[in-house]
Amino acid sequence: MGGQEIAARRAAPLGAAAATRARARAGFLFVLLAALGALGGCISLPQSEALRASPPTGLPRHVELTQVPFHPQDDFMCGPAALAMVFNAAGVPGTVDSLKPLVYLPGRKGSLQAEMLGATRRSGLVAYTPKPELEAVLREVADGTPAVVLLNLAFSWFPVWHYAVIVGYDLDSQQVIVRSAQRPRDEWSFSFLEYFWRESDYWSMLALPPGKVPATARAEDYGAAVAALERTGHAAAARASYRALLARWPDDLVGLIGLGNTDYALGDLAGAEKAFRRASEAQPGSAVALNNLAEVLAQRGRLEEAERAAQAAVALGGPTRGEAEKTLAEIRARRASSR
Amino acid sequence: MKSSIARLLCRMLVVCLVGLPLQVNAGMIGTDTVVSAARAAAARDVIASALSRTEVQSQLQAMGLSPQQAKDRVAALTDSEAAKLAGQIQSLPAGANGWAVVLLIAIGVLIWWAVKR
Repeated sequence: MGGQEIAARRAAPLGAAAATRARARAGFLFVLLAALGALGGCISLPQSEALRASPPTGLPRHVELTQVPFHPQDDFMCGPAALAMVFNAAGVPGTVDSLKPLVYLPGRKGSLQAEMLGATRRSGLVAYTPKPELEAVLREVADGTPAVVLLNLAFSWFPVWHYAVIVGYDLDSQQVIVRSAQRPRDEWSFSFLEYFWRESDYWSMLALPPGKVPATARAEDYGAAVAALERTGHAAAARASYRALLARWPDDLVGLIGLGNTDYALGDLAGAEKAFRRASEAQPGSAVALNNLAEVLAQRGRLEEAERAAQAAVALGGPTRGEAEKTLAEIRARRASSR
Repeated sequence: MKSSIARLLCRMLVVCLVGLPLQVNAGMIGTDTVVSAARAAAARDVIASALSRTEVQSQLQAMGLSPQQAKDRVAALTDSEAAKLAGQIQSLPAGANGWAVVLLIAIGVLIWWAVKR
């Protein structure tokens, strides 16, 4: 009896272990079935469906940017390769080897999106991320700008990220023309692209030469993109882009301030004065415009005018009030010492 | 506890150092200020950004970049990009696609064909 009891006690935990294993197996099966169900039943590819239902208006039926060169990638190097292609198209030299130090991250064996944008700026180009829509990318390609897209080639729970370059499309066959990995020219249907693209939230980027505004640009986003380029020290490229921004949106504050600041950085005080004056007329509430106008006027020796502008900047207050007060104090000190 | 205080102190010092070059020049206010005003970002975001920049820089170094490379790369990011990267460098998408992945792509393509055709 005692022996049987012991045997029964031993059997109980063994049975529990088997049950746990069985539950785990069932759980795995369930997850697998759920994953397949999700893949089979519920994939919706809304963008390509919308494009099929109503083709975008005002676009050529077929575009292929054959001038975009192909750079095949080695292992893990799709970031540098994609950048090399779009940089070359924008007139900037670059190869996988030369761009690897700008963007490749050894610890991740890949390239991060933010660094793709950063590397573009460091190369003197405007990095712009279009709206997360296939139609926007098609419009940019039609405008002559190839687009880098970020794709997930595997699953959402085991992502394998990859950059490819869209260099063309055909509305009749509903296909994009793509340079990707070791393949210089692939034709993918819109839905094939969308299936792999959707998990990056339809992320794409453009590398624009100075002075080129994207076809689908919004003033605010493009201004921010150019300001980010200015920040990396490419004043001349940023100035050309601010001018292009102002050609499309003449009263844009970021464009006017940016033009003034890049003129100033490049030593063109007359140009800077003109830009800041224009900014303070177009946007009378801008304390930054008045403060910077005051500073430029002071440097040009027109201290009385400068003091008036600085006073107006201080009067407007706002988050830059501290700087404006400093500018005013400096101008007053200079006036006092020059008397 | 002690090290976290030390870290906080270090960070605050770095903010002071990093924060200074935000001025374009004596008296001039940078374009970034107007951009962040247009995007309704507050002044505290600038401080947050300085913090995240130092964090991103040290993370990039930990991922195999030299100090100078890491510094140059962080300098090319916008405030919001730096803030997004901070603490997430391990998890954010990193486009790679090595050879080992070709099989996975093939599986992905097969599933796509099965589903869509």
